[in-house]
Amino acid sequence: MSTQLNSPFHESLSLGDLGIVESVSGCLTPKLDELNGKKIVFNCDDKNMIPVDGWGLRSDPYSATTVTTIRPIKENALVAAIDSSSVKIAETDDGSLYGIKCGIATAYAGRALMHFKIGPVLFYLSESIMEHSELEERLARLVLLDDDFAKRLVRVRAERAVQKELASHFTNSIILVDGSLKTSVFEDRQRSIRKIAENCVLRKNMMIGISKGTKLKVIERAAAPLAKVPGPAFIEVDMIIKSLIRNTVGSNSMVKLENHSPVLRADIVGNRIESLGMLIGNDPVAGGYPETLRLAHHISTFTSTEMTCLRSHVLNSYDVTELAGDDIRRSLLGSISV
Amino acid sequence: MKILSKNDNELLLLAMKEDAAAKGDYMLIEDRSRSMIVQVYDEEYLSSQALIEDIIKEEVVNATSVEKLHDPLNIGSLSRLIRDARIFRAKIRASVNDGKLSSDITWLPSRVESRIRRLTMKELDSFLGRHGIYPIPLGMTGDGEEFEIYAEDLDGKLTIITGKKESGKSHLSKLLIKTLVQHGAFVVIFDLNSEYSGLGWNRDGSPSSIHRQIRMLEPGKTLKFSLNYCGKGAISGMLKNALDMPAASLREFFRIWDWLENKQSLSIDTIGQTVSTWNTNELVRDALISRYHVIQSSRLFADDGFRFEDVIAGGSGAAMVIEMGGLSPTVRRMVVELVLSKLADLLERQAIPPIFLFAEEAHLYIRDTYWEDIITRMRHFGIYTTFITNQPDAIGDGIYRQVDNIFLFNFTNDADLDKISKVSLADNDTIRSIVRTLPQRHCLAIGKAVCDLPVVIRIAMTEGLMLGETKKFFKK
Repeated sequence: MSTQLNSPFHESLSLGDLGIVESVSGCLTPKLDELNGKKIVFNCDDKNMIPVDGWGLRSDPYSATTVTTIRPIKENALVAAIDSSSVKIAETDDGSLYGIKCGIATAYAGRALMHFKIGPVLFYLSESIMEHSELEERLARLVLLDDDFAKRLVRVRAERAVQKELASHFTNSIILVDGSLKTSVFEDRQRSIRKIAENCVLRKNMMIGISKGTKLKVIERAAAPLAKVPGPAFIEVDMIIKSLIRNTVGSNSMVKLENHSPVLRADIVGNRIESLGMLIGNDPVAGGYPETLRLAHHISTFTSTEMTCLRSHVLNSYDVTELAGDDIRRSLLGSISV
Repeated sequence: MKILSKNDNELLLLAMKEDAAAKGDYMLIEDRSRSMIVQVYDEEYLSSQALIEDIIKEEVVNATSVEKLHDPLNIGSLSRLIRDARIFRAKIRASVNDGKLSSDITWLPSRVESRIRRLTMKELDSFLGRHGIYPIPLGMTGDGEEFEIYAEDLDGKLTIITGKKESGKSHLSKLLIKTLVQHGAFVVIFDLNSEYSGLGWNRDGSPSSIHRQIRMLEPGKTLKFSLNYCGKGAISGMLKNALDMPAASLREFFRIWDWLENKQSLSIDTIGQTVSTWNTNELVRDALISRYHVIQSSRLFADDGFRFEDVIAGGSGAAMVIEMGGLSPTVRRMVVELVLSKLADLLERQAIPPIFLFAEEAHLYIRDTYWEDIITRMRHFGIYTTFITNQPDAIGDGIYRQVDNIFLFNFTNDADLDKISKVSLADNDTIRSIVRTLPQRHCLAIGKAVCDLPVVIRIAMTEGLMLGETKKFFKK
């Protein structure tokens, strides 16, 4: 049979003969023996998981020492939480169509007040459009090449626009932002996070950026003492964050908003104790996360019905011709689901 | 409206909020030179898991805080359209090729190019070629068109009117009787609840248009027969079927009958006297005496009794209402037996024209085995029966197999729906879905009267006096 097929390889050929095994095991030292005695949390679907009861205390060079408890301040103030989401709707031969939705949820005196849904709004990004934009040329090219950058651009711009208006119109309020307070290359100069923070200070507003997860493992470990404290508390982590990231705005903390709740990173513009105290005094906190921010997230996400409606709107409102689409990965890899 | 999919003889039609159609409506799907006639039998929401999740999410969010929208593209209204989109389930009934109705439904209309519109009753009738000389206006169809069947559709046919209590069965039967009489037909009604006497009167108390043609017959009072008129055959049937007389006793009875007849002294009294003195076995005598007493106490016999020929000779159309409300079950059976036997005899001799028989809750006075006899034998003589019942399972499958028309009123009970859908002339899905949701005085007409295409009808209000309503202790 082998002679008939005239195969160039002998049947006894193995990976060892080709030297592949040695080459792969030598490309990086596995050091699996180092796992012995470690605590471990398995990841699921590429998501970062955190241990339910924290990592526990151990000696850490970055370990912060001072844990400050947060007392709710019963002084009525408006809390406005902002979140947004962007999706790619369609593609043309020279550009892409993106949709954006923003949500603002408000609370006052510990009760949900009202929420605003903004959008969906469509943005079309193409070479000719980007040529005439104020974006730096290299950044514009990057946006055209990578959909994730493009989605980030429309989301950051829309979110900053909303944040800017809230910061300029409210006084003595708390502006809650999903994610860290960090300058972005996609920001409009007039609506940068620094300008928004300035407006907040001028109008006596407080701005808190709450991140659900952090990629900085070191600050998770630094916040370990919070697990031992009953009730809301925070630890200052400015030193660690400022040494790792340059363009953050405000002070950096790890906070726990409820007893037995996850520890979150909070970037705060304003007095730390006052801001966090006012937040838990005016916004209902459930499961360790502000309700307004949770509501803003839910109202800003795209539903499948909205996606269908957006497609219908594009087909009906613009002179476009729909072409049949094909999922290239599915075509090439097949559809074996396990 | 667009075609969404097809499964067997069922099409799913996608409809938006403004596309109106009700259960029972006929739709015409036009695809170039051919058309397909379908009937909507069910309606449901266009539903998907994602859509349900969206609706729940929105409700939860709006319950927690007041919503303010800024929707520059007005996507929300499109979303609401999708949420209100509906699916009409429709059965394929026929197709139209070059303007002619055809049963060829093997082709599939285009999903893209087909145009779907509501079919009016007039159009449907013209496709079906449904016409007649003696119309019976029944009421309105779902879209407000007047609907009529023809008296010819009931002529020589077996009809069943069924539905749950107070759904409007008697209403329809009165409408049919009144119009049949107006067209000159002769109708015999077995009235169990004394409600058909109202046929002669309008609601305002004035006489109805058929007032003079209504003949109220109360057994024992205004309905009595002479033994000679009934004849040996009818009496034999009564003794055998209504009074369960054994064959030996029956033979003896007819010896007495013949003896008295020869003496020309046949009467109830002479039968009684002869039975007590007749030389026969004591058991037979006891059997004869007990039957004699039942016959005597029924007061159904007199020397000069009622004659059907007299009413029929009277002219054009009459309704003979036999009131059986106050009778004992045995006397009811005797009356029915005598009337049916006599009518069969008269029809056999062609002494009277064919007649229409309306039997309300017939299972209460006719034995099961006897029903099929009425349907098969009497039909050939010229008795065309309409059964009115709220118990579809009281009618045997043998009768359902011979039925020509069914008027189905509302049923919600699964057992009743099961029975009806198994034996009905229409498909199970249509029956179950439409009949379950029929409002009061609405019925689904199936059978020859509607050329085998089921039609939902809102039965017209009658001017006649409505009697037979349940007496209540607590008055409103």
